[in-house]
Amino acid sequence: VLKERLVEALGSDAVKTAPEDLAVYAFDAYTDGRLPTAVVLPASTREVSAVVKVARECGEPIIARGAGTGLCGGAVPVVGGVVISFARMNRILSLDARNYRAHVQPGLINLDLSTHVASDGLFYAPDPASQKISTIGGNIATNAGGPHCLSYGTTVNHVLALEVVDDRGEVFTTSCDDPGYDLTAALVGSEGTLGIVTSAWVRLMRLPEAVRVWVAAFGDIDSASAAVSAIIAAGIVPTALEMMDAVITRAVEAAFHAGYPTDAAAVLLIENAGFEDDMAACEGAIAAIVKEHGALSWRAARTAEERAALWAGRKGAAGATGRIAPNYYTQDLCVPRSKLPQALRAVEEAANEHHITVGNVFHAGDGNLHPLLMYDKRRRDQVGAVVETGNAILRSAIALGGTISGEHGVGWEKREAMTHVYSTADLATMARVRDVFDPQRALNPEKIFPSGARCPEVTPP
Amino acid sequence: MRTAAERTTPENVEALSEIVARCDREGRKILIVGGNTLAGMGFPPEQLDVTLLTSGLASIVAYERSDLTIAAQAGATIQMVGALLAANGQFVPFDAPRPQYATLGGTLAAGWLGPRRHVYGRPRDYVLGSTIVLADGTIARAGGMVVKNVAGYDMSRLYVGSFGTLGVLAQVNLKTLARYPRARVFLAPLPERTRTRACHQLGALAIAPAAAFWIEGFHNAVDGEAGPEGRVVILLEGSEALLERATRDLRSALGRAGVPETRIVDAGARESFERVVDSYVASLGERSVTYRLYGTPDESERRVIALQELAQRFLLRAESIVDLMNGDIVLRVSDLDTHALGAKIEAFDDALHEAEPQAQVVAGDHPHRVYLRVWGAPPASIERMQALKARFDPNGTLNPGRFVGGI
Repeated sequence: VLKERLVEALGSDAVKTAPEDLAVYAFDAYTDGRLPTAVVLPASTREVSAVVKVARECGEPIIARGAGTGLCGGAVPVVGGVVISFARMNRILSLDARNYRAHVQPGLINLDLSTHVASDGLFYAPDPASQKISTIGGNIATNAGGPHCLSYGTTVNHVLALEVVDDRGEVFTTSCDDPGYDLTAALVGSEGTLGIVTSAWVRLMRLPEAVRVWVAAFGDIDSASAAVSAIIAAGIVPTALEMMDAVITRAVEAAFHAGYPTDAAAVLLIENAGFEDDMAACEGAIAAIVKEHGALSWRAARTAEERAALWAGRKGAAGATGRIAPNYYTQDLCVPRSKLPQALRAVEEAANEHHITVGNVFHAGDGNLHPLLMYDKRRRDQVGAVVETGNAILRSAIALGGTISGEHGVGWEKREAMTHVYSTADLATMARVRDVFDPQRALNPEKIFPSGARCPEVTPP
Repeated sequence: MRTAAERTTPENVEALSEIVARCDREGRKILIVGGNTLAGMGFPPEQLDVTLLTSGLASIVAYERSDLTIAAQAGATIQMVGALLAANGQFVPFDAPRPQYATLGGTLAAGWLGPRRHVYGRPRDYVLGSTIVLADGTIARAGGMVVKNVAGYDMSRLYVGSFGTLGVLAQVNLKTLARYPRARVFLAPLPERTRTRACHQLGALAIAPAAAFWIEGFHNAVDGEAGPEGRVVILLEGSEALLERATRDLRSALGRAGVPETRIVDAGARESFERVVDSYVASLGERSVTYRLYGTPDESERRVIALQELAQRFLLRAESIVDLMNGDIVLRVSDLDTHALGAKIEAFDDALHEAEPQAQVVAGDHPHRVYLRVWGAPPASIERMQALKARFDPNGTLNPGRFVGGI
């Protein structure tokens, strides 16, 4: 019945129920998956609305899906249900270059937006490493970050208004300029549990007139992380401040020849964008700090090509680790920036204890760590060790005053860990918002909130 | 508005929780008061039994200077926090009017948006975490002291702009920025037929000013001489080197627009800028009502001209501030006395909202204010907002009736 009604609403080419088709949508970039009941590819807000109504009448939950690059199982249909793919809603609906804004569909690929508006001297600032494939809708769901959100802010800072389909299939709109509650801010980062975004007005920024990229190399990880903390403590917030350890730079160089030194224990990739007039002073100030912290070398990228190569290496770093181990598991934690050295030491200790190779490639300026734990998923002992290491790293982040996710989200993976950072009252307060937008828990169920048994207060009234 | 029978000033979050929970149980309604600087926003409370002052919760909880973060209680004044940060070369760009009185909690709860947000972002984007007391006394924390955090819903951003109707903010954790070394203000009167070109030139500068205003009226409140088409006040912020270039660019841009005289203020530039921000909500007591409208920079000049003409039709004096970078409009209409204003203000309010449905009242003590469309037309998602209110404060204990749509 579900299939027939979906076909009736969308046409047969937009509805998939064959097992081989469903299998593709069982997983995102997390390690575990579940089969959906059906997958639909709507082409309009009206069709999304129709899908939600049909699914609800058939008692099926709804899971919105972008490109499936999420690392926490946020797009996995944990209890089955109808997966809505936004692959056919991927257009820029309008561009208002004069007022720095664009109206886009959720399936639009992040990088496509910046590419499209570059001729108007504009760009879209949030730049997760997945930006070549991840979608604006998925980015909105997770409040995605990226290297440049150090100075530009995460996705929520760049979303002005939303069109949303609710849990009953009704369409509503929010705008951050409306009087009343800032529903736009509440929806961004809600991982598809409060509504399904069907279009978004996003803020664009002017392309900077000057960009500099520098690479600093260090003999040990401690010095590099201390240098990062010192740069921030000096009040210098460059556009991006990234760190990679030797495990990563060697893999990156082997894969891309991006231009990183491979004999250093850690490198910093630093970008500053802005005005030509400020560049010399900025370089002088940062270079002085990294030298004070014992940098082995300091180098400026001389050309746009060199800059692009360094960034391509950085953004391709996770993929490059395929040379080290068949699989990797990315952890995502955020600590106060002065605690970076301690946090990295804790990562190393946890990995050593469980005999796991770890590579660090992360947004150092934000205190947002991404340890990549290398393993072979065919080896059960390694899988167990990776999980243990990941948990130990999260516990250390919490002990340092940090949090369990800086930019990837909670999803399916980390929902039980929510109880480590929030009290029952804190979580129950979040659940009040869910009660209003999704009282039946029909939108992306079994995500963010700990499973009911552990936390009885966090269930619907 | 009835005078409150009881005033209470809790000095810790537990006491705050107890008071709020007790009122909620007993059906007594609470008006939350910070620095009273934005008291001109919103409707008067429907019922008022207890005035809850946040001034007892005014300490700095933790200042992590080298992390660029600070946690402070909600009743701390913007100036107090600002002074501490400034002594350490940092700031948070709240741009709140009358910062010596304005509190963190009040400024954030009112969703205040200042003129520098096109450069620095909105105040909400500086809130990393919060502690709030809900109507039933629940003490709920959200976020933390880290600059990126997607663990669960962003409750803190939801509380910003909620006008104290979802809970009482007790503490906020903020991200800070390093303060720019230099600030400079340009003041220039606008001669005949220069306004349009001046606005256009200012909007097209390669180095966007931190703030740029076209102002009509507000003669003694704002620095600089007014010309036949008002005046512009421009704030530049940045390094010494950048300021020099921005100054050259700005001079030639104004020159191209036919604006010859400019006065530069270096010492006291920030104060000069703050006087403009103070004027956003400066009222002439019961003789004036101030509206605020949001929009886009390219529309603001046309809109404000139409608003001035409308005010003239009602024989009201109109003064305006246009934020050329964000497109905001501040319109203060006034008359000789409270009776003269009272005779026209409701009809003017009707006509204004016909043209500009979203116009909000932000200042003015006229007794007829209660009859105005203080929040403008209800937003598209008002029913969901009402449902949120019902879920957070089912008895309507906190700031009842003050917010949009009777919330």
